[in-house]
Amino acid sequence: MQGQLICLMAKQTFHSATLDNGIVLLGEDLPGLESVAIAFHVPAGAVHDPVDGSGLAALSGEMMLRGAGDRSGRRIVDDLEGAGIQWSQGVTTSHASFSGGMVARQLPTALPIYADILRCPRLDADELEKARQVVLQNLTGIEDDPSHLAISSLRRLIYPAPWGMPAEGLTADVERLSIDAVRAFVAGNVQPRGTIIAVAGRIDWDDFVRRVDSLLGEWEGARSGDVATHARGPRVQHVPHDSQQTHIALAWSLPPYRDDASYEVNAALAILGGGSSSRLFTEVRERRGLCYSVSAGYHTHRDFASAVCYAGTTAARAQETLDVMLAEIARLPGSIDQAELDRVKARAKSGLVMQQESSAARAGGIARQWYHLGRVRSLDEELQRLDALSVDSIERRLADHPVADLTVVSLGSAALEVPDAVSA
Amino acid sequence: MRFLRETLDNGLEVVAECSEGSVSTSVGFFVGAGARDETAALSGVSHFLEHMTFKGTADLSADEINRRFDQMGASANAFTSEEDTVYYAAVLPTHQHDAVDLLGRMMRPALREEDFDTEKLVILEEIRMYDDQPPFGADDRCRAAFFGGHPLARSVLGSVESIEQLPVTAMRDYHRHRYAPGNLVLAASGAVDFPALVESAKRLCGDWEPGTSADRRQSSAGLPAASTTERIVRPAAALEYVIRMSAGPSADDEARWAAKMLAIVLGDDSGSRLYWELVDSGAAEHASVHHHDFLDAGLFGTQLSCDAEDAEPLMEQILDIYRTAATGGITRDEWERACNKLSSRVVLAGERPRRRLFAVGLEWAHERVYRSVADDLRIVESITLDGLHDVLARWPLDGPAATVFAGPGEASISGSATPH
Repeated sequence: MQGQLICLMAKQTFHSATLDNGIVLLGEDLPGLESVAIAFHVPAGAVHDPVDGSGLAALSGEMMLRGAGDRSGRRIVDDLEGAGIQWSQGVTTSHASFSGGMVARQLPTALPIYADILRCPRLDADELEKARQVVLQNLTGIEDDPSHLAISSLRRLIYPAPWGMPAEGLTADVERLSIDAVRAFVAGNVQPRGTIIAVAGRIDWDDFVRRVDSLLGEWEGARSGDVATHARGPRVQHVPHDSQQTHIALAWSLPPYRDDASYEVNAALAILGGGSSSRLFTEVRERRGLCYSVSAGYHTHRDFASAVCYAGTTAARAQETLDVMLAEIARLPGSIDQAELDRVKARAKSGLVMQQESSAARAGGIARQWYHLGRVRSLDEELQRLDALSVDSIERRLADHPVADLTVVSLGSAALEVPDAVSA
Repeated sequence: MRFLRETLDNGLEVVAECSEGSVSTSVGFFVGAGARDETAALSGVSHFLEHMTFKGTADLSADEINRRFDQMGASANAFTSEEDTVYYAAVLPTHQHDAVDLLGRMMRPALREEDFDTEKLVILEEIRMYDDQPPFGADDRCRAAFFGGHPLARSVLGSVESIEQLPVTAMRDYHRHRYAPGNLVLAASGAVDFPALVESAKRLCGDWEPGTSADRRQSSAGLPAASTTERIVRPAAALEYVIRMSAGPSADDEARWAAKMLAIVLGDDSGSRLYWELVDSGAAEHASVHHHDFLDAGLFGTQLSCDAEDAEPLMEQILDIYRTAATGGITRDEWERACNKLSSRVVLAGERPRRRLFAVGLEWAHERVYRSVADDLRIVESITLDGLHDVLARWPLDGPAATVFAGPGEASISGSATPH
């Protein structure tokens, strides 16, 4: 294994450049691939939604694709797809993102289309109602997805507003949004400063920088406004839902990704609920057959992060499921063993190496790292940090960041009992 | 890219697509066991058995299996469909031996009664989980209506009743028949050490009792026998979900490639006729049509989700789109775009050894053929506009179909079966 990793590291090449207007360009060569993936992360995420105007970022992202420069919305899609470009658009809490995967020779076709979407979206009033309906349809569809609803409710409780707000918005707000609001949002937030453009795969870096500079180098704009942070929600909430299963979502606060402790807390969460030999999978599913899906993971914004545990189970067995999950969470500090840690390291390393086979995963990955860290970590650095993890270092971090103020959401037919000790 | 194969004395086939540049190795067992191989009393046994193979062998506990996969950093899982059960692991090349060893041993599970009883609870949770989710069982109901008495009518998960009543002895019998070496393929992709793979196979599987399964093909001509419409009422659902199945070319019909391209033109998730008319306008949350093929049958599956009161008119609009395509044809522009989309998908999917594993394994298990990414590209490039028109004429999308509505809509057409 060591031999292959060394060979991979030797081949790994990163590039970065910053244009005069602040756009950050990132690149990673992935030898052996025929494809290129590109990701545009624009600082126009849902945190910039007005307090009573949630969904504005989502609606604006949808509107940007409906005509830009001399292309209609239909032409944009036809031109992308005609070149075999697998495109997608989405809005997260922090960013609006536009991405595409393609065979490498199509990158010069793709770039001017994406550049127009960023620089000169038409934002035609005629398209507003259709775009609004798309956003509303998506919101209605989410009401039929109980696990999504449970996690979404949990995020509203664990993070201070607007960081916990659903990026897709709320129906009542979306119904009121105007074309002026969309235009103001795009003008204020779709800006070169804070925009990250990442490309990975079979790339010609110098040619890429030249092309992007000629398309977007003259783009001028200010920086998006600062985000005011408000209070967070209550610790325990039951969401009534007509379903056979009860969905349980738990969270507690942890340091964000850029904090040095994130490696250790991530590893601890993987031991708790990351793989099929994890404690939650073993105790909740394998030993007791309480549910089909149960997991624990790490979720991070730039300044806030949390541990998130989830299980979906029949209403009659939901209380037992919650009790077992709470017991496993409580048991974690002081009980990590070396064999568990070795498995977590093996899984993490293997995942890092296999990412090299996907241009889309790498383009998105390096863009996100830049947002969180202001730099990209090499595979070498990541592997060294994983190697440096020890039972002691994890236990120390768990002691520094104890499970406190556990937030619990249940979604289903009946509320669950949450012991005071964890809800206090 | 090299394709290599070997057949063990007991009939087990070992195949591999080896690519020098890969950083990972994917291996998998492809078992000819799926919902179509079950009887009513055994409904769901293939999928339940898939879970049980992770519960241990004579000398490995379930915990040990889970630990070993995690120790090698494997991305390992399994799935069951109408026709196949597939077990796979993606690992760094140094772990090829460990991964094949573990998967190979799992193919001879202990099937202990105690584990069976606990895992039954997990299966029942899985059934309830899917029942709570869109399309609220409409897919199973629609397949049952479309296939009628054909084996493909069966549900992969089975029902709460069939699972509750299944005895472990029935699963052991089923396993003995369907997991015979002649009914399994061991496939690998990526950075594969083929001689070592064959060596592992001989050591692990060489002493398995030879056995094979009868040909599973049954005529599906004339399906569906009649057009049917059913309704599943879920008062609390936010949207109405509609599934419609009409006949299409099967896996042994060359026209299936053109059928897939036609589905891209008409109902791909973006840029298709359904997309522009129903999704881009915000009329529907989702509208698409895809082509699915089986050993002896094929179908076009239309999916729609929208507000309940719009469901029937929008289904009418979709049928109009199909009729317009049949009479007015597909444009050269649409055909070219679909060609480029499909080619690009083939290339991009071809870069991932994990994706290639499923293509290589399933194609070998079903057809005993190997097609490289380059072969697939040549096929895509050979599809003509006339080919699309032939499919439209031979398998009219507005023809006889099974349709199921699921959602808050009223039961106005519940259970009606009308001749087309």
